[in-house]
Amino acid sequence: MAEIELNGVTKRFPGVTALKKASFTIQDGELFILVGPSGCGKSTLLNMIVGLEDVTEGEIRVDGEVVNDLDPKDRNMAMVFQSYAIYPHMTVRENMAFPLKLAKVSKSEIDQRVTHAAKILELEDMLDRKPRALSGGQRQRVAMGRAIVRKPKVFLLDEPLSNLDAKLRVQMRTEILRLQRRLETTMVYVTHDQTEAMTLGHRIAVLRKGEVLQIGTPRELYERPKNLFVAGFIGSPAMNFLPARLESARLELPIGAVELSEDQRERFGGAEGRLIAGFRPEHLHAGANDEQHLSFEAQAEVVEWLGADVLVYFDVALRGFEEVELPEDLGLEGGNGDNRSLIARVDPSAGLREGDSFELGLDARYVHVFDAETGENLTTPHD
Amino acid sequence: MSKKPGKSLERVLWGAASVLMVTYALIPVAWMVSLSLKRSADLGDNRFFPRVVSFEHYEAVFRDPQFSAALRNSIGIGAISSIAAVLLGMFAAYAIARLEFPGRRLILGAALSIAMFPPVSIIGPLFNMWRTLGLYDTWPGLILPYMTFTLPLAIWTLSAFFREIPWELEKAARADGATPLQAFVHVIAPLAAPGVFTAAILVFIFAWNDFLFAISLTSTNDARTVPAAIAFFTGSSRFEQPTGSIAAASVVVTVPIIVVVLAFQRRIVSGLTAGAVKG
Repeated sequence: MAEIELNGVTKRFPGVTALKKASFTIQDGELFILVGPSGCGKSTLLNMIVGLEDVTEGEIRVDGEVVNDLDPKDRNMAMVFQSYAIYPHMTVRENMAFPLKLAKVSKSEIDQRVTHAAKILELEDMLDRKPRALSGGQRQRVAMGRAIVRKPKVFLLDEPLSNLDAKLRVQMRTEILRLQRRLETTMVYVTHDQTEAMTLGHRIAVLRKGEVLQIGTPRELYERPKNLFVAGFIGSPAMNFLPARLESARLELPIGAVELSEDQRERFGGAEGRLIAGFRPEHLHAGANDEQHLSFEAQAEVVEWLGADVLVYFDVALRGFEEVELPEDLGLEGGNGDNRSLIARVDPSAGLREGDSFELGLDARYVHVFDAETGENLTTPHD
Repeated sequence: MSKKPGKSLERVLWGAASVLMVTYALIPVAWMVSLSLKRSADLGDNRFFPRVVSFEHYEAVFRDPQFSAALRNSIGIGAISSIAAVLLGMFAAYAIARLEFPGRRLILGAALSIAMFPPVSIIGPLFNMWRTLGLYDTWPGLILPYMTFTLPLAIWTLSAFFREIPWELEKAARADGATPLQAFVHVIAPLAAPGVFTAAILVFIFAWNDFLFAISLTSTNDARTVPAAIAFFTGSSRFEQPTGSIAAASVVVTVPIIVVVLAFQRRIVSGLTAGAVKG
């Protein structure tokens, strides 16, 4: 049980700053996610919390106590590595008993705790096997087992599922979630996969190039992204982006114009530069619309039927608007010459097929407007 | 029998080639064993198999106090040299494999050049130095050059091994509550064991087989090792060649090496790190 407080934590490696002044608090019993593209400093931060890396600047407090100079062994935190890092020369039992042996726990206590953990993780039949005789999922569970037997203050997980195949990943994700809820231990979980982040986390910190961009619940990040990067990073399929400009009281997009409320006008008032409008695929509706909707004609290029809904890929002509430039590390493309590819998530009842022309309505309340230079979100959409 | 005729032909050829190789390599050894088992009178009989198997040369060899002293020296000097060289080599290799420091390559290169230095060129000066320092005809007097000449080998073998170890395991051990020393002892050392054994065996064989230093830097039974001692064998009378005793002594000193290699072979070959990471 522990609360972790970061205070201006900075990490500099020769020639590169891996983490810039991270300040936030991870609450007791919380499942906190650090998410971001590779090289964003999330693993470095995790290593600093557990004590494998020194903190260049700032302080890390656990339950109010500064742990900067505390050796990892005195921090009582358990870590699960991406590669699992289970000891190949020890059996499953010995692997799980290792931290307890180091802590000089009595033999009977070790036996009891290992058995208990093995039961939770369904490893009972494998206790006397060597890691090389285990499957990937089982090794992953051994790594988890080694972490839980210690009853640590904090669990730190560094991309624990990225070496598993898709099906196993979903299964283990649920298991980890269940485990965390059951043990109620603070857990810090690092991943580059936003789906994993969204499904697991109580709260999520989005990191990019060593900076913490936004911290919030999955819902906050999804509905009120603070900037272009978070908006594009969170959500699958990703948010649609179009160039936009402000004309008197209207926001003009290549697909039409949106009336702005007084309050929005006020907020955008100062925005002189180029703008980018963003909206999520599910906020496009096929067919009929009402006042609040901006409607436009599109031609379906590709239709993906997912069962509950349908993803429609279509192109929008830019009509003289400048192409939008998205952060490269988002990995989102979508520009193709004078067109921009967008995605709509629509109801299957619309019965769309590839090549069909159809009418789409955009609910203007859900349009985010970003400053194209700074990436800052200028809107706070209504519920 | 394999199904395809091409396959079985291939196997036959491989088999024939292996037999040829093994025969070629082992004939001198077999000849030596055969000689050691012949009676003195039969030594010149030009036969491959002894007419009568006799252990008289072995008895003679072990009766000779010179030989048992030499055996003691060989084992002691070989063991101490290997332990010391491997211990020092481990520190150096650990640093080379794990730490980024300027001159890493230089150290490896320098070590290699020492290994290439012809020992015979330093024997003369060493002889004089050892006499001045009082190291002549002592155990340290042999252990020192053995260590020097095998250390590069140990460093190279060990650093190659250390580089293969998944170092995330060390981090894992530290996070599991181990001190740096405990992480090394409980996790890294067992994984490095095959490498350490390989290095130790190589050093031991070098020391065990060395003749040059042993013959030049010793003069009595105090430090003379077996290869040097064999050179001092005489026949039981001055009309007799010591061929039989030499053969018997050679067999006696070859056996430990074979035993050591066979005993540790499995450790060296075993894929101890299999299953450490990923799936």
